[in-house]
Amino acid sequence: MRAEELKGHLDGLLLAALEDGPQHGYAVMDALRRSTGGRVDLPTGTIYPALHRLEQAGLIAGSWSVVGGRRRRMYQLTPAGTKALSGKRADWRDFAAIMSAALEARQWPSPA
Amino acid sequence: MAEPSVITDYLAALARQLPGPVVEELADGLDQAYLSGVRSGLPADAAASTAVAEFGKPHVVVAAFTEAIPARRDARRLLIAGPAIGACWGAALITARAWTWPVPAASRAMFGASLLAVITLLAFASLSRRYRPVRFAAMAGLAGVCVLDASLLAMAVSMAAVKLPLALATVASALRVAYAARGLRRACRVRVG
Repeated sequence: MRAEELKGHLDGLLLAALEDGPQHGYAVMDALRRSTGGRVDLPTGTIYPALHRLEQAGLIAGSWSVVGGRRRRMYQLTPAGTKALSGKRADWRDFAAIMSAALEARQWPSPA
Repeated sequence: MAEPSVITDYLAALARQLPGPVVEELADGLDQAYLSGVRSGLPADAAASTAVAEFGKPHVVVAAFTEAIPARRDARRLLIAGPAIGACWGAALITARAWTWPVPAASRAMFGASLLAVITLLAFASLSRRYRPVRFAAMAGLAGVCVLDASLLAMAVSMAAVKLPLALATVASALRVAYAARGLRRACRVRVG
């Protein structure tokens, strides 16, 4: 799955990846790969600006720590982020239910 | 452990365009990707190349960071709203017969040149894919909008008779200056990495 296809859904995926606790950027990408069975094909470097955007929006909070002599930025969900994730989940369930009802109502391809 | 040259070259390419803390964060992620490759049995050079490929080409990463600059979004919104607010002022100035005002030609020229410069800065900030110039242009453009709108509002306050077009233009400019000032404040506050 490419970036264009993920448009509008990436924020929800990143918030979900942080649901289990604080993670650094590479671990978020790793969690995203695992949760999608490796089907999300984004350049890892482009995950970081998305995390910065979510941080600026107040949905996640970032902080620096030092690990093995290297500075590492960790991110965790804020209360607003947890609420936003719930909203995105509910929206997705509604959307998926509507699309499933519409697309699976008749067999495809329709029998000749 | 010394980093393979393919990683240091990659980070150097990013450091030419992105702020230090951003590169520091990317360097840590790249290190994780590299170590993950080594742990999975790849030779060091192959692990480094794989990590760099996984992160994406430097220009793609820089473009993604540039797109995420909040002031860039503000610059785009101001550009989109510009013609409507400009039309409000056009109607207000025509109604007030502004061409009969005793304003020195140099002042008119200076206002026109400033307006053109601000539009150019906002357009550059909206379209360019270069991180630092975009950030600078967006902040300068937002500051320029504040100054231009403040001068228009000062002129409106000095006018004796207030007609509907002028009232509308004044409200539009007041809203725009508040939006631009908020964006500028946020841009100054945002860590550059």
